[in-house]
Amino acid sequence: MAPALSASDRVVPVPLAEPAILVVDDLVMRFATDDGGVTALDHVSFNVRPGEFLAVIGPSGCGKSTLFSVVGGLLGGYHGSVAVGGETISGPHASIGMVFQEESTFPWRNVVDNVCFPLEIAGMPKAERVDRARHFISMVGLDGFERRYPSELSGGMRQRVSMARTLASEPKILLMDEPFAALDEQTRLLLGDKVLQIQQQLKQTTLLITHNITEAVQLADRILVMTYRPGRVKRIVDINLPRPRTSEIVSSEAFGRYVAQIWSDLREEANRGMIDDEARKLHAHDPQEKRP
Amino acid sequence: MAEIVTRAPAAKPWFSGVTLLRAAIVLFALVVWQIMAVSGLFYRGVVPSLPAIGAALMKLLSTGDFYWNLWVTAEEIAIGLAIGGVCGVVAGLVIGGNRFIAQAFEPYLYYLGPTPKIVFFPVMIMWFGVGGGSKIAMGAVSCFFPIALSVAAGMRQIDPVLIRVGESFRAKPWQMATKIYLPAMRHPIVNGLRLGLGVALIGTLLAETKLSNRGLGFLVIQAYNNFNMPLLYAILVVLFVLAIGVNTLVARFARLDEIKQK
Amino acid sequence: MSAARLIAPHWLPPLVGIGSGVLFLAAIELLVRAGAINRFIVPLPSEVAASFPRVITEEDILHRFAQTAWECFAASFLLTGFGVALGALMHRVRLIRLACETWVAAFASAPLVLAYPLFLVLFGRSTMTIIMLAFLSGLPPVVLKTVEGLAATRRVLINVGRSFKLTPAQQFWKILFPSALPTIFVGIRLGMIFALINVVAVEFLINFGGLGQVINELAERYDLPGTYAAISFVMLVSIVFFIVTERAERWLRS
Repeated sequence: MAPALSASDRVVPVPLAEPAILVVDDLVMRFATDDGGVTALDHVSFNVRPGEFLAVIGPSGCGKSTLFSVVGGLLGGYHGSVAVGGETISGPHASIGMVFQEESTFPWRNVVDNVCFPLEIAGMPKAERVDRARHFISMVGLDGFERRYPSELSGGMRQRVSMARTLASEPKILLMDEPFAALDEQTRLLLGDKVLQIQQQLKQTTLLITHNITEAVQLADRILVMTYRPGRVKRIVDINLPRPRTSEIVSSEAFGRYVAQIWSDLREEANRGMIDDEARKLHAHDPQEKRP
Repeated sequence: MAEIVTRAPAAKPWFSGVTLLRAAIVLFALVVWQIMAVSGLFYRGVVPSLPAIGAALMKLLSTGDFYWNLWVTAEEIAIGLAIGGVCGVVAGLVIGGNRFIAQAFEPYLYYLGPTPKIVFFPVMIMWFGVGGGSKIAMGAVSCFFPIALSVAAGMRQIDPVLIRVGESFRAKPWQMATKIYLPAMRHPIVNGLRLGLGVALIGTLLAETKLSNRGLGFLVIQAYNNFNMPLLYAILVVLFVLAIGVNTLVARFARLDEIKQK
Repeated sequence: MSAARLIAPHWLPPLVGIGSGVLFLAAIELLVRAGAINRFIVPLPSEVAASFPRVITEEDILHRFAQTAWECFAASFLLTGFGVALGALMHRVRLIRLACETWVAAFASAPLVLAYPLFLVLFGRSTMTIIMLAFLSGLPPVVLKTVEGLAATRRVLINVGRSFKLTPAQQFWKILFPSALPTIFVGIRLGMIFALINVVAVEFLINFGGLGQVINELAERYDLPGTYAAISFVMLVSIVFFIVTERAERWLRS
């Protein structure tokens, strides 16, 4: 069951049975700012096994989005390395598919053309790619909406289109940054269900960045809890809930215990984040304040 | 993989890439011009050499004749702008102030605005004669539309609470206009006037080129008729510098006013 | 001011607007007939209306209209092609944008049409003069709007492209350009309107070409009703063109 709380702030990856498909090794990311500098990621290391669902959870300001951009290859200038299938990345990698937090469907293309996009880039002939796109559109539950435009769909449906688009490129690793952040709780639960089904069906290796504990426990095999800035791995929790799962799992006792445990870890970090944020806002409005 | 990602931009010396590129473009254009001028590729005189244009420019700016014509044109533009401006502001106030009137009459302004007003010039000549009157009328007609539209739009974006303040003090209509509406609409009015100045300038000058015996427009056509190419280029250079200069000045004045209010 | 305001039916304002116009013309008609207005300065509106058919057939208006339309089309074609290309270049090479964007904006406010005598010397009294002036006058808004539209592409869409490892060319054609298209069309529409205005104006000034020349000729012949009729016709064409492009823009935005 759940390991006891410990004060260790550096977690050493445990040697695995199968070789990990994603290896993040000693990642350090610093940004220069007006008042000195800030360390977004401080010696972050973890592995992801093939077929595994890893959720990364942490308070706002813990560097989750930075982690997402680094692993996705959109951000450089860091110490340490990220390797996919043994290969160190140096930019967006073909095996990594990204689903962004913001609205990312192309408004000028209809649903099927949106999902066809990566296949079009890869040079797949038209009939084949439409066929393939329909398969993924069906998988996310948007049958019948192929010819619709994003402006005609709800927020949740648009996120599903973005997901189908990324899945269509059949990435080895699916990287998602709070894809359901803009949606209401009920829609999140149902979409989470959908993601679970898809992940279980495809045995898709997934790395999900989120701030929602319920979502993380519902979907993940393991959860990486991060500290507030500078972002470190506070703890890695194994979620031993049975698979296959459905959204009904949220009402089980074990689920509740996992959520409580993670919240007790997070609370301390979230608190630090809030205090730091308020302090900064206070100083920002005080012109007499001397900067150290 | 590397070091700290800096976000602070480096200090920009005046000797920056932008200045260099601009200087390079200007230099390149002048060199190409001079080459075209002396190459003999063009019909003689169509592309005069830079020194020839320079000489004509010097000569132009040193004769009293030029300044007299400049004054004539400036006067015509100013009066035209004044007439068109006042009419435009009044029309804008009326149209912007009442929704029904706006729906009934603003389409006239909106759709008649983007049309070639110069074609009205023959009518202006019939009504105001071949002298300055028709040029002033041309300028006034040209600038009336953008000014009226700007003022009408400005009326609509006034904070309604300011209007209620005026009504609560039972201000009379003309007091409302001068003490509340006009001050609240400084920026749209100034912007409208800037647009109006631009089109009044064009309208007046084009009218002068078509039919006149004085003013800058007349000088342009006279140089053309005499095939005095260096002079033609010189006058055009002066015209463009003045037009862009005045426009920039008004724009800067408008922005200064905005910054002061903050 | 009464507190209760009656909400007018939606057809009433346009009716009042057009009605006032008709009343205005009727008033002019009466005043001219009465002699209060000199009929050698302002012709009878009814005479102007009556001269329409004559002007249309005698001056071969359809042919003239086609000529003006062709000049407009050529200028529009040029300003679209060069404008979008220049705008894309300015967006792609940041240094060029920083150096030249204000110049283009200044050029937009410059009274280029005043240089028409110069163009007469360069190209003669010909269609070329008209097309070149209209093209150059309409170019700045296309360039500026193209840069604006491309620069306003949402960051996340660019990141989607990067995550799929698009080449710069693919990034431009599949993401930046479609995203910027509505704004670019606003620029093209502005450019086309400037082009039409300048085409007719230059035709009038150099007494060559289509509709602008007709007005000039009729005026020089002192054909008052005809001149007014021709001017009204040109206004009508302008307005229709404006409305059509406005509809097209709205359709594109949807």
